[in-house]
Amino acid sequence: MIKLLGAVLILFAGTMIGFQQAARFAERPRQLRQLAHALQRLETEIGYGHTPLPEALERTALSSPEPLAGLFRKAATGIWETEGLTFRESWERAVKSQWPETSLRMNEQAVLIRLGSTLGISDKEDQMKHIRLTLVQLKAEEDAARDDQGRYEKMWKSLGILIAVLIVILMV
Amino acid sequence: MLARIVHLLPLELKTLLEKLPESLQEQLEEIRIREGRPLEVCFRGQSRFMTLDGSMRQTADAAFKPTSDTCRKLLERITNYSLYAMEEELRRGFITVSGGHRIGLAGRTILDGGVVRGIRDIGGFNIRVAREVIGASANLLPRLLDRSRKTLHSALILAPPQQGKTTLVRDIARSVSYGLWPSPEAGSWQGRKVGIVDERSEIAACVRGIPTFDVGPRTDVMDACPKAEGMMMMLRSMSPEVLIADEIGRPEDGEAIREASHAGVSVVATAHAYDLQDARGRPVLRKLLDDGAFTHVVELKRTEQGIMHRVVSAEAPGRSAAREQPQTPQRTAVGAVHSLLGLHRADDP
Repeated sequence: MIKLLGAVLILFAGTMIGFQQAARFAERPRQLRQLAHALQRLETEIGYGHTPLPEALERTALSSPEPLAGLFRKAATGIWETEGLTFRESWERAVKSQWPETSLRMNEQAVLIRLGSTLGISDKEDQMKHIRLTLVQLKAEEDAARDDQGRYEKMWKSLGILIAVLIVILMV
Repeated sequence: MLARIVHLLPLELKTLLEKLPESLQEQLEEIRIREGRPLEVCFRGQSRFMTLDGSMRQTADAAFKPTSDTCRKLLERITNYSLYAMEEELRRGFITVSGGHRIGLAGRTILDGGVVRGIRDIGGFNIRVAREVIGASANLLPRLLDRSRKTLHSALILAPPQQGKTTLVRDIARSVSYGLWPSPEAGSWQGRKVGIVDERSEIAACVRGIPTFDVGPRTDVMDACPKAEGMMMMLRSMSPEVLIADEIGRPEDGEAIREASHAGVSVVATAHAYDLQDARGRPVLRKLLDDGAFTHVVELKRTEQGIMHRVVSAEAPGRSAAREQPQTPQRTAVGAVHSLLGLHRADDP
């Protein structure tokens, strides 16, 4: 009886782990797409609206879904809350603290942090160029993420169950 | 004074400047920050270098030297982290922040077809602390009253930089706008509509179009607008009775002032010049004075006691001959001396 219960639990856990991993693969391209949309919004605010950066970030946060909204909000509030931070530091902090909430990887993080070191300190054209460069880089990541999704999402779903079954068989 | 600009400064500069004695903090006029070079502060017309422990030195050695990081933070703070939104300001070479403080910038310029488009690699900052001195014009105004029209005479205020011209015209605008005529005979006069053309955002220090200094209830401000165009726009649309402009000197400014004086509007303008003689050396000002666009010229001088002014009648030679006082064109009126800081000194004949 207990053996059966254990087997069911293992099966359940294995399936869940598989699904969770699969979800990460499905989530990543989606969030990358949302991030690109958010940055486009930021580009518009900067390039056409001449909105000051903290306000532009707040507005971007409002129009983005969580967890990305949190990133922009933290970057905007960070510069006022902690005294003596440059924008670059505040941005880096926001990116790093918000990262575990997202399904994004280190590649994207590096791209975003690089963007943070240029935001707000040059003229309009330069700002737009930097944001566009970031968008191109994110697009490349997104394509790769979609490939990965096609390749690994199904695999992880079945792999979870199969490994659980294997463990159960070995135990019996 | 320091308290009003401290929010602009990065932490390290803030802690350093707060070490200054309180009396000096009050008298701060300029803080000059140059990347990698000694930190300079100016007060009461003197300049000193600051060391790390907050003491003041005449010599530059042992002085605190702001790093590039400090300068970057300062630039971010004064531009609200948005240099891209400051293109016009960078083209002009200074940024006006809330409170009317002006921050001059120096660095490498970006040229576009031979015209300066902006500054990059900014390595020098000059924070000029603006001060609002209510009542600064109280001693001058009675001399400028036009009793027949119950308003002000047109006047040109002359002084070298840093003598309080802007402070003075701001207070003139305020008094005229409120109708606070500092003269018993003018007690019943009403306030006048005032138009300020504030090209450098210094007189009214507008933030998003709203003046941060008290310039009076009947005052309209055309902010960050080229003076000549702004004056014409004001004349056409806002029907001012007194028009105020800072630092005139370009030929088109002269045109606009002439236009205004023909429209019966009193113009109070300032210009960089040591005295009337010096002003006459500048073609635009000479032409205006000869045309009789200004009936009075005020010379400001800063002395140990404060700021003194001298009112000179500016009638052109041909015109003054026809008047009751056929004296030489310049220096006919007596000088009045007073101090902006409230220290009076009688120098009057």
